[in-house]
Amino acid sequence: MNEITNLHNSSLKDHARRVRHNALVMAETQGQGYIAQALGVADVLTVTYFHAMNHRPDQPSWEDRDRFLLSPGHYGIAHYSVLVAAGYLPEEELITYAADDSRLPMSGMTSYTPGAEMSGGSIGLGLPMAVGMGLGLKRKKSKSFIYTLMGDGELAEGPTWEAAISAASYQLDNIIAVVDFNQVQADGPSTKVMNTEPVVAKFEAFGFYVQRIDGNDMSALVAAFDRAREHPEPQPRIIICDTKMGCGVDFLEGREKSHFIRLQPDDWKRAYQALEASSVQ
Amino acid sequence: MNMQLHKENTMLKTKSPDITASAIDEGHPTTSMPFGNALIELGRTRPEIVGMSADLAKYTDIHIFAEAYPDRFYQMGMSEQLMATAAGGLSKEGFIPFATTYATFASRRCYDFMSQAVAEQDANVKLIGGLPGLTTGYGPSHQATDDIAIFRAMPNLTIIDPCDAYEIEQLVPALADHHGPVYSRILRGNVARVLDQYDYRFEIGKAALLRGGSDVLIISTGFMTMRALDSAKELKSDGIDVAVLHVPTIKPLDELAILREARRTGRLVVTAENHSSIGGLGEAVSSTLAMNGVCPELRRIALPDRFLDAGTLPVLQHRYGITREAMTENIRRWL
Repeated sequence: MNEITNLHNSSLKDHARRVRHNALVMAETQGQGYIAQALGVADVLTVTYFHAMNHRPDQPSWEDRDRFLLSPGHYGIAHYSVLVAAGYLPEEELITYAADDSRLPMSGMTSYTPGAEMSGGSIGLGLPMAVGMGLGLKRKKSKSFIYTLMGDGELAEGPTWEAAISAASYQLDNIIAVVDFNQVQADGPSTKVMNTEPVVAKFEAFGFYVQRIDGNDMSALVAAFDRAREHPEPQPRIIICDTKMGCGVDFLEGREKSHFIRLQPDDWKRAYQALEASSVQ
Repeated sequence: MNMQLHKENTMLKTKSPDITASAIDEGHPTTSMPFGNALIELGRTRPEIVGMSADLAKYTDIHIFAEAYPDRFYQMGMSEQLMATAAGGLSKEGFIPFATTYATFASRRCYDFMSQAVAEQDANVKLIGGLPGLTTGYGPSHQATDDIAIFRAMPNLTIIDPCDAYEIEQLVPALADHHGPVYSRILRGNVARVLDQYDYRFEIGKAALLRGGSDVLIISTGFMTMRALDSAKELKSDGIDVAVLHVPTIKPLDELAILREARRTGRLVVTAENHSSIGGLGEAVSSTLAMNGVCPELRRIALPDRFLDAGTLPVLQHRYGITREAMTENIRRWL
């Protein structure tokens, strides 16, 4: 048994630093990758796995677990970082990231990785999948939640909104969607590629209980996840998390063209040092 | 074309316009709603069976399952992509969803979702497509002439095109017993009952030789098997001896049975399907024969590679050569 719940903020920050460190290790082995997203979403995933979710890392298929769905598959690096920190995977496997025959492929898939509940990557599958699982869990009279991590670019996908309509229609209060609103997608700033704002008003109109917070503020995250779980109304929940790409490594924060970053060999040492010195500790 | 159309319509004046229907040829008894009734029957002993539809429950016969088990049916609205993906989610929680829509929407709309949320994740989803091939006169938006071609390249997906009510009644429990994603066409409403006359048992992945014959071998799928059997009877009176190999499972294809029958020399081999000539049974059989060095004289009965006309079904099916009459006429001509 290894149920992880309700750690204090200071220890959450330690976990978040470990999550970021794990992401750097994986990115360094490839010399490149979706490192800025991993650093940006590290606090969100830390609070999800070390505060909000009821789960057992040594029993990834435990029936009463809360489910976690990773919709943007390229966030695999971020997900593996927290799965290693939580004990689903040994730390030694980090250096196999995206290598042949690794359990940690570049884009997250369910058949590869313990703790990966779905294959993402084809953007827009997360919320529709959550609807099906939400219906299934209700049928089983389960109390489990489904945490669904989505990217901000994903809000331009039609099926996201098909799922939003049905989640509210079926009163799926077991869905807690989490959007990593980092303002970057493949072709540029998210709201310039396609302006999906006002996101809060849209999801409210679609029948969700909506919160929008600073996704790199640990206290705000803890409070938002608590409110999402405890919200009394029978409606799906969504937390829009405004995050900073590259958060925790100063020279990556706010860097342009940060969707897929290549670093020179010397820069990795700088990145670890910057993380150590970072105020996010 | 217009003159021909006028002539054909005149011929059909005494009949009511037949825009959408299952294929019922004269001389066959029918069974009402075999898919829906079989699913209800299965539901009695299998609580994990659930139904879904994207606003086409009434038109895929799953509405009677919804009436029998209202809490086990999920209406997903006009959202086929959501339905396919949510079916994957229900499967992850241990349920076996039978998700229905028209075959056009199941294939053209759901492709990526069936690929990535269902087949790649080995979800136990049964996607059911009504109005297969040319079974509606609504025109290309509703005519699923390409569904099998679309799905054949998808790994880990079983593809089935049943012939009649007798087969549909058997395939519903067989799909539930088979773990893994399936796309199956179905016929709805009053569906012809044919194969009970042929000592036939449906088995996923198996072709069945329904009758032997020394002059022609028809390799057919879907309701074209009904027409092949009727055509064979008709040709018998001309002294033409026709064998019929029924291939309900398009993928995985029963290559052994196809090769075994096609290797018998001296027979014209004819493939017959209610689908485009591109990417369906005909091409699958041709490829199997060529790759195995089996080269009989080969002909194909299939729909043309074009967007088909709107109109009435008897006229359209005759126009595009998939009626029994057209089949018999073509085989006589080819011999």
